Amino acid sequence: MSRSPFPPVPAGRQEIGIDVDVLFGALPSRRLDASLDAATGQHVKHRIRRGLVCSLRGALFDARAGNDELRKAGDRTRFVPVGTVDVRDALTADTEIPRMAASGVRLLRLFPPEQWVEPDSAALAHVVDVAVAHGLVLLTSGDFSRFWRPFAGRGARVCFLDVHAYRVADFVVLARREPGFVASTRLLCGPDSIERIAGEVGAHHLAYGSRAPLHDVLPSALRLRTAGLDDEAWRQVAGGTAAAWLAEGA
Amino acid sequence: MIIDVHGHAGPWFFSTDVGSVDLNLALMDRYGIDRQIVSASEAVTYDMVSGNRWLAEVLDTQPRLLGYVVVNPNDLGGAARELEKYRPGGRFVGVKVHTTYPDRPLLSAEVRDALGLAAEAGLPVLVHTWDETVLGLVDVLERFPDLRVIAGHMGGPAWRTAVEAARRHERLYLEPCCSITDRGRFRYALDRVPLGQLLFGTDSTLVDPAIAMGVVLEDGLTDEQYDHVMWRNAAGLFGIAAEPGPGA
Repeated sequence: MSRSPFPPVPAGRQEIGIDVDVLFGALPSRRLDASLDAATGQHVKHRIRRGLVCSLRGALFDARAGNDELRKAGDRTRFVPVGTVDVRDALTADTEIPRMAASGVRLLRLFPPEQWVEPDSAALAHVVDVAVAHGLVLLTSGDFSRFWRPFAGRGARVCFLDVHAYRVADFVVLARREPGFVASTRLLCGPDSIERIAGEVGAHHLAYGSRAPLHDVLPSALRLRTAGLDDEAWRQVAGGTAAAWLAEGA
Repeated sequence: MIIDVHGHAGPWFFSTDVGSVDLNLALMDRYGIDRQIVSASEAVTYDMVSGNRWLAEVLDTQPRLLGYVVVNPNDLGGAARELEKYRPGGRFVGVKVHTTYPDRPLLSAEVRDALGLAAEAGLPVLVHTWDETVLGLVDVLERFPDLRVIAGHMGGPAWRTAVEAARRHERLYLEPCCSITDRGRFRYALDRVPLGQLLFGTDSTLVDPAIAMGVVLEDGLTDEQYDHVMWRNAAGLFGIAAEPGPGA
């Protein structure tokens, strides 16, 4: 393609620091290369430096095997491992979460809708409690308007990966009283969704996520790069929030 | 040149401040969009008559915008009057039919007859599609020989079925805008649907054009593909003169 409709991007926004929503493995619902190499290719193409990556094997088939597979995966400089437990088998959280925490894993990703788990599931609440007790940061999929409740009032640091632009009001009113609540930008697709959350509760309640390699990266990356944020807020969303979870400087 | 065939004008009930037509224009400028075909959010979600009337006033002062006459399938008599009122002026170049707010399924008799009205008026119709019933548009197109339908959102989560539908009927066009960004979704259509049936739309100002731009251009297009998808097909379908503007 010889022409580009893309708006000019300021030099400081060429590189996105951390993508909080990366997966790898197999995806039975698609004929798609969902390998770690595929995610790497997307990140390189779209100039994303690092990602928080979780195993689809762990999400969809065998949590413990997925966590082990993840730890063996290559290129640890690009990808930070995110563990998981299967909420349908929440009894394993009592041993798997301490095992992961002992091995240095700082983040735990949950897949309630993918595992047919409802927001009022006792098992889900138990997993959250165990993860919080071990100081893990949680990442979770699911409609924010339904899935905020099991994470609230527990002092959890949690990134909601599916906060849609239509749910901005729900997120803002809860983030006002939940300092650890963060929204991934992936579905904040309105012209002012990212900007409104940053303005209402601060950019530290936002983190960039793409869901590579299951999703196209350009839509979320372009939206972030054109966001109406000042430079400090932009850097916070593009990597600072996730860096804080990892106890790193932005 | 870029023609956006799926735009909106006016406010929405979400926590978003996108009601000003100035924002339509600002986003068009940012992304190099020359022309945008819009429906009034009020007409889509609440009152077709007052919404269409408001949009007619907007179009009088905004030459880069063109309009869809919104047709509510629950009031076909009123819909016919709306088409008689706005069709002759030339500023409304298509018909918009939603299914969510009128609470009528895509394959209901009411929506079918609304599509028939669009065919009688000789206007292309943008219809909201969001499930597997998009395939049923093939039968509706067979019923109305003059009907030309754009499957808005390309079926949403049912995008593979929308592609199958477009392969079955040459008067079914696909427009991919929505928040679903499954990897390779537009490439899947590009590899299977005749190039002349693919259009570019954004859902702006409800959705930032960055999303649709990213979906369509993620894997790159040849010059020929770019021209057809981004403007040439729309220019032919809606009878829009190709006038190079900011995006050319």
